Amino acid sequence: MLWIRGLLIITLGFCVWVSLAVASSAESDNFESCHLDGWGSSLLCTDLPVGEGDTAVDLAVMIAPAVNDIGREPIYLLAGGPGQAASHLTPILNALHKVNQDRAIVLVDRRGSGYSGAFDCGINREITMDLGVVSERLSECYLEKTTFANALNSRQAVEDLEKVRIHLGHGKIALWGGSWGTRTALLYQQWYPDSLSVLILDAVAPIDTKVFLTARAAENALRKLELDCSEDPICAELGNWRVELDQLLVSWDKSGGANFPDPRSGDRLKVDIPRSFLQNLIRTALYAPETAAQIPFAVSQAGSGNYLPLSGLAGLLSDSGMSVGLTLSVACAEELNRTSSEELAADSRGSFLGTAFFEFFEEGCRVWPVAPFSYKKPEPRNHPVLLISGEADPITPYYYADQNLNYLSGAKHLLVPGGGHINTMRGCVPELIKIFLNSPSEALDTACLDDIQRPPFMVGFFGPEIDIPKTKEKVRVQEGSL
Amino acid sequence: MISVEAVSKQFSGEPVLRRLSFSIPDGQITALLGANGAGKTTCLRIITGLVKADAGSVYVNNLHVSTHPLEARRQLGVVGDREGLYERLTVAEYLSFFASAQGLSGSELTWALNSVRDELELESLWHRRTKGFSQGERMKVSLARALVHRPKHLILDEPTRGLDVLAARLLRKTLLRLRSEGVAILFSSHIMAEVSELSDKVLVMANGVVVANGTPEELLQRTECKNLEDSFVALAYGRKAEREAVV
Amino acid sequence: MNFTRRMFTAPMRALIRKELLEVWRDRRALGLALAFAILFPGLIAAMIMFALKSQGEKTFRVALIGGENVPVLEQQLSKGSFQLDSLSESDPASLLNNNYDAVVKIADGFADDYRNFRSPKVYLYVDGSNRFSGRGATHVQKNLGELQQLIVQQRLVARGVAVQLMAPWQVQVRDVSTPSSRSTWIFSSIPMLLIMTLFVGCLSSSIDTSAGERERMSLEVLLQQPVEAWQIVLGKVIAVSSISWFASILALTSLMVVFPFLPLAEMGIKHATTVWGAVTIALALLPLALLIAVLQILLALRSQSFKDAQTQLSILQFLPVTLLFILDMSAIELKGPLWQLVPLVAQQQWFKVLLVGDSISVAWVIAGSLVSLLLVVGCILGGARALQRESLLGAT
Repeated sequence: MLWIRGLLIITLGFCVWVSLAVASSAESDNFESCHLDGWGSSLLCTDLPVGEGDTAVDLAVMIAPAVNDIGREPIYLLAGGPGQAASHLTPILNALHKVNQDRAIVLVDRRGSGYSGAFDCGINREITMDLGVVSERLSECYLEKTTFANALNSRQAVEDLEKVRIHLGHGKIALWGGSWGTRTALLYQQWYPDSLSVLILDAVAPIDTKVFLTARAAENALRKLELDCSEDPICAELGNWRVELDQLLVSWDKSGGANFPDPRSGDRLKVDIPRSFLQNLIRTALYAPETAAQIPFAVSQAGSGNYLPLSGLAGLLSDSGMSVGLTLSVACAEELNRTSSEELAADSRGSFLGTAFFEFFEEGCRVWPVAPFSYKKPEPRNHPVLLISGEADPITPYYYADQNLNYLSGAKHLLVPGGGHINTMRGCVPELIKIFLNSPSEALDTACLDDIQRPPFMVGFFGPEIDIPKTKEKVRVQEGSL
Repeated sequence: MISVEAVSKQFSGEPVLRRLSFSIPDGQITALLGANGAGKTTCLRIITGLVKADAGSVYVNNLHVSTHPLEARRQLGVVGDREGLYERLTVAEYLSFFASAQGLSGSELTWALNSVRDELELESLWHRRTKGFSQGERMKVSLARALVHRPKHLILDEPTRGLDVLAARLLRKTLLRLRSEGVAILFSSHIMAEVSELSDKVLVMANGVVVANGTPEELLQRTECKNLEDSFVALAYGRKAEREAVV
Repeated sequence: MNFTRRMFTAPMRALIRKELLEVWRDRRALGLALAFAILFPGLIAAMIMFALKSQGEKTFRVALIGGENVPVLEQQLSKGSFQLDSLSESDPASLLNNNYDAVVKIADGFADDYRNFRSPKVYLYVDGSNRFSGRGATHVQKNLGELQQLIVQQRLVARGVAVQLMAPWQVQVRDVSTPSSRSTWIFSSIPMLLIMTLFVGCLSSSIDTSAGERERMSLEVLLQQPVEAWQIVLGKVIAVSSISWFASILALTSLMVVFPFLPLAEMGIKHATTVWGAVTIALALLPLALLIAVLQILLALRSQSFKDAQTQLSILQFLPVTLLFILDMSAIELKGPLWQLVPLVAQQQWFKVLLVGDSISVAWVIAGSLVSLLLVVGCILGGARALQRESLLGAT
């Protein structure tokens, strides 16, 4: 009978509808709404258990869902360090908010960082100048969590990431890596090429590049700052501050180190400040052009006996937010183990930094005896890759993008004039990233990078000079295959 | 056969029908005559079930119209005083709908449609929508609708009103054919020539009762009139009216 | 099962077919329904574009007077969505009249005062009666604020003071709205318009099928047929609601088609109506379409004439939407379970939720729809009684 058939069809349709309804309401049940500092909107968060026994951790996964999901592949952000947490990348999230309009952005705190069992050995918040005290505490920390420390490496991070991708049901994903995160991204590309659509590498650390040899890079960044300062009519008036810096370094222990002021309390610091502190302070100040712009004035003031500006700069830079246990596990196993003392000597020769940066790790790895972890020679890959470099990056200099990446056949390079370490949030770079993600194989019009300038130099106690025009910076842009 | 037994009806306290009784035999044409307001339309509506009687009973083929309304209606074909066409339907769709409403389906339905189309010469109109039809065409479609389910009883309310000569002839021809097939036919009319030509029996209503019931000849005899019109006036309006009409 | 069997008899099917033919061949009714269904997404699109214009990103025209001596300020002000014109001496008021959204005037001797810590003045001229002027001023202040912050930082550093001292604590704003909840305001009018489509979509045909058929006397013929009165009403309700249901689905579909072309994401608004959501809306519209159709038919049957029916139903078109609007405005908590059973209100609430891509309780939708359907059944029975009233047919 016709009507029985009709009823049957209606009933069936209704059942399908109900089951669809139930299915779609169950889909989002695993996620909780959550927030991160520096990002106003709510995120979807979930935990994914990885590892077993002593290495077990609930991986913190945070997703900024696409405002309008039109089926574009999500982009995962990989933090640097090693030891930085992806959950600290909210500035990048802000810069990429337009990308977020139609793509989900996924943050995964790798094992041992941030909300995924931060492995900080209690050295996170306080600055201790005495390396001996630090290594003693690290030694205890290593003995306490040896299994965990030995298990942390890039392979584990990549495997965890792949588990997250599968758990979230994502097909191909885009990866953004910053600093050490580029290394993780490049390794992911080696091991899981089919899971990857494109790579965006800001401040690239190629697999075969020994990025803990930083003295030459820091020296180059400082020289670039010297050059830019000398071309700025006001900054040029500060005179030869570089010579003053070199003299300071020579005579540090007698002059500055003994009576360095505490930028927070205003008191003189009780302990003597080692020279490496000043070296690392300058190095760290070079990371961002805003702080770099204060180096010439601060140094020239210190040269004439006023250590306050230098102390102020130190106060500006004190919080690193790294999980030092994770940093050491990865750095000792993957970088320090393959860096020889000859290479170190060659790198540090003639630089303001010398071995000041390396010696902390040398010291640390001595009490952190993890097994070496070496990489295979990278195999050719043809994913579209966008490399972003700053002209004055003191740790992953722009020329790294031209070295050891010949195996990539689809790379474009953005060079940010006057840029320091990490440039994703500068000028039109977010816009270029969005264009690259939407059409990775097309040429990028990078002319807008020329508009990016260093912030005004600090030249007096009033701050920057504001009434004499700055000369336009020379801009170099490189693009094309590497 | 339709039998009306002691039917009474009031509208807002005004009695319209008073214990009205008559019967319409099969195979005969019965004319229902009456002045305006005599209760003709109410009487017909009670037979077709549109209006309920206050008292009394109406049987169509022995089916009580109030207790078995649907069954009784299947026995009836009705042509109202307006045609009740659907202007957005074609003749075929229109007739097919009413035939289905009457319970016909399948080959029975097709046969009924074909035969009513041929009998009432509807070929040229068959696939046209009824909007813009002439009065004659409208009557033909309406009659076809009343006949499509082959009812045993046919009720017509002033069927020849506004018809041209050809259509009126077709109607008369059809009624005569139906009579020969044994259908009980009841029609109301004002045209005496038609009544005298067609009807086997004449019912005259006045003030809600039947004042006369018989063959046209019987009525002429009873009223001693020369023609049916005079006879009707005499019966429906009384002797006085008839005399005035003569003067 | 007697009832169900009768639902599907040949006469019932013929009735439905006849009513459907009549309704769908009524060009005027169809035209009205379609026009409204097409007009409706256009209206929403226009509304969104308007909102975008007043909310979204806009390039502001800003004039800077006396800026030639402070290039750093000039450079800072031209960052972002500004078109900055640096002018020599000029009248701020006339510039604001002349299409500038804001005018910034630098005081004389600015650079000297700045170097000497005398806090020189920056004058920001706005036209408070211009909607964009205020927002332009906010943008100017934001840009200047960035530079100001940089200078404050440098001044603190120069004195050896950690910048953190200036921030005894940090306020982190945590916006708990989701892209879907942010879009509620824009989507809240859509359910209302969908319901309105149901009313307008069957306005013409519900009058035609009841008061119209009575006036043409075809209703009398219909009543003489051996079918039950409720079957007649049901046939009419099905046909009449089919056209309004179709109109509302058309409106919904055209909205779904139009949405991807609207710059919703730029406003941080999520267009997340899922296919499942749209199908649910379409299904949930059906009981409501039936209810509205039967109500309009009943009202038209009750009226004295065709004209009278038109007047009465025209008033009815605005009544429910006005009522919903008042309920919306009166801040009555409409999410409660009892409201989920009230026709119109319930559907409006579900559609709001479904349009922003959230999910709703299937049980409540079914329960609420059943209430609507029960009312439909009641109305059909009421209509059947009305058809049997003698006064319906008019004069004897």
